Amino acid sequence: MLEVKALSVRYGRHLALENAALQVKSGEIVVVLGANGAGKSTLIKAVSGLVPHAPGGRISLEDQALHALPSHKIVDAGLALVPEGRHLFSTLTVAENLSLGAFLPRTRAAAAESLEIVFSIFPKLKQRLTQIAGTMSGGEQQMVAIGRALMTRPKILLLDEPSLGLSPLLTSELFRALPGIAQRGIGVLIVEQNTHQSLAISQRGYLIEKGCIVGEDSAQELLKSPAVQKAYLGG
Amino acid sequence: MFMNALLAGLTLGGVYALVAMGLTIQYSVSRTMNLAYGEFLIGAAFAAYMLFGTLGISPYLLAVVIVPVAFGLSWLVYRIMATPLVRRAGTGMALEIDSMLLTFGLLFAIMGILLLVFGSNYTNYSYLAVPIRILDATVPANRLLSFVAALVVGGLGWVLLMRTRTGAALRAVAVDPVGARLVGIDVQWAAGLAFGLGGAVAALCGVMVSTYLTFTAEMGVVFTMKALIVVIMAGVGHVPGALLAGLSLGLVESFVAAYLDPGLTVAVIYAVFLLVLLLRPQGIFGRVVR
Repeated sequence: MLEVKALSVRYGRHLALENAALQVKSGEIVVVLGANGAGKSTLIKAVSGLVPHAPGGRISLEDQALHALPSHKIVDAGLALVPEGRHLFSTLTVAENLSLGAFLPRTRAAAAESLEIVFSIFPKLKQRLTQIAGTMSGGEQQMVAIGRALMTRPKILLLDEPSLGLSPLLTSELFRALPGIAQRGIGVLIVEQNTHQSLAISQRGYLIEKGCIVGEDSAQELLKSPAVQKAYLGG
Repeated sequence: MFMNALLAGLTLGGVYALVAMGLTIQYSVSRTMNLAYGEFLIGAAFAAYMLFGTLGISPYLLAVVIVPVAFGLSWLVYRIMATPLVRRAGTGMALEIDSMLLTFGLLFAIMGILLLVFGSNYTNYSYLAVPIRILDATVPANRLLSFVAALVVGGLGWVLLMRTRTGAALRAVAVDPVGARLVGIDVQWAAGLAFGLGGAVAALCGVMVSTYLTFTAEMGVVFTMKALIVVIMAGVGHVPGALLAGLSLGLVESFVAAYLDPGLTVAVIYAVFLLVLLLRPQGIFGRVVR
């Protein structure tokens, strides 16, 4: 289980995230909903160590403290991020991207097995192994990015706006794949603007506003909630 | 004359290729344009000169010691220099500029030390200057060995980068440092390693050229410039490209000297450089996928 407590992030004098707390259990899909600039991305980046957080924040994954670790150690502890913009190795092939996902000694021995798992979730990638990642469509690149993150054998997978820039069709395809990942016991935390589809596959959700987590409920309740309807579902 | 020009070009090109391969691996992985690069080369040349003079050991054997020492020093310089800069810099660009300015200072520091220890005189010694006959031309063995060293380093570099996990990690950092962090690669470790490797290649080149070239403590920048031209022409981060571009540049230089006019070599080199930049700004082998 991923547990975040009292997490704050400052960009200069601007407080981008204030005292955030959340939990993600293994096998659970949790969504963080919020408007542009509400601090969703900051939250997810701070958890994975890409941006430094203010002292006092606590991040733990199954009793291992992550808040003082550099990002590459956080990955080794079992927390993988699929960042906004994907950050693929764009001039390398799909196969190279995936095998770099199994770079850590912990993940190396199981690389072949991990690859089978990735193929079972994204069968399309099997035919694209020799393609240069940067020449793929946005949806396919997102699959490679998630595949690469799965190759790190995570306990928790963080997804930063996975549907950004994808067509509605590809977005649905992508969201349909996520429960398959959670079924393997991986906790999934998604940050999304695509409220409807992300709530449909999630068990729980958090609402974030101006850097603060202002609400938490089951996905069904959030879908029904008038406040969410008004703020994120367009009436 | 053709054969002579060819051999002269290949041996000269070997030196260009060597310096360019070291610089390109340093820059593409660590994002630090090391302006003190040539100083490592000259430092190694002086070390070979001094140790050969005092101990009488073959410079090629000395390279076995000098090259790893250069690797260690280069690695250390990066760790000492980069750690505070990385902590301070907000953006990748700021880091790139800060670290380049720092290596600019380092250039004068190393040059100053070399001047202090060895003076500003032109220095040279000769080792293995025996002529080797190839077809109807001759080339001194020591020069031929620079060419061989370039091929060996190019081959080893290719194997390291394309066939090992460490090499894959270095390439990953070169392509996308954030992506590299996300698969668990310690980017600072990779950058330090690449910096060390580049310094080692520079030192190897320094030892090779010291056996036949006259050098001074202030000559490092000449090598840095030539390396920079080859790296930019080949496309940053492309090791086999740097090898090919280096060899080509050497050939152009020697054929221009042999058939046109030795005074024109620099002009022609820069004309070629300009042409490449105009036609392929990303370099001959560079790719613009992003």
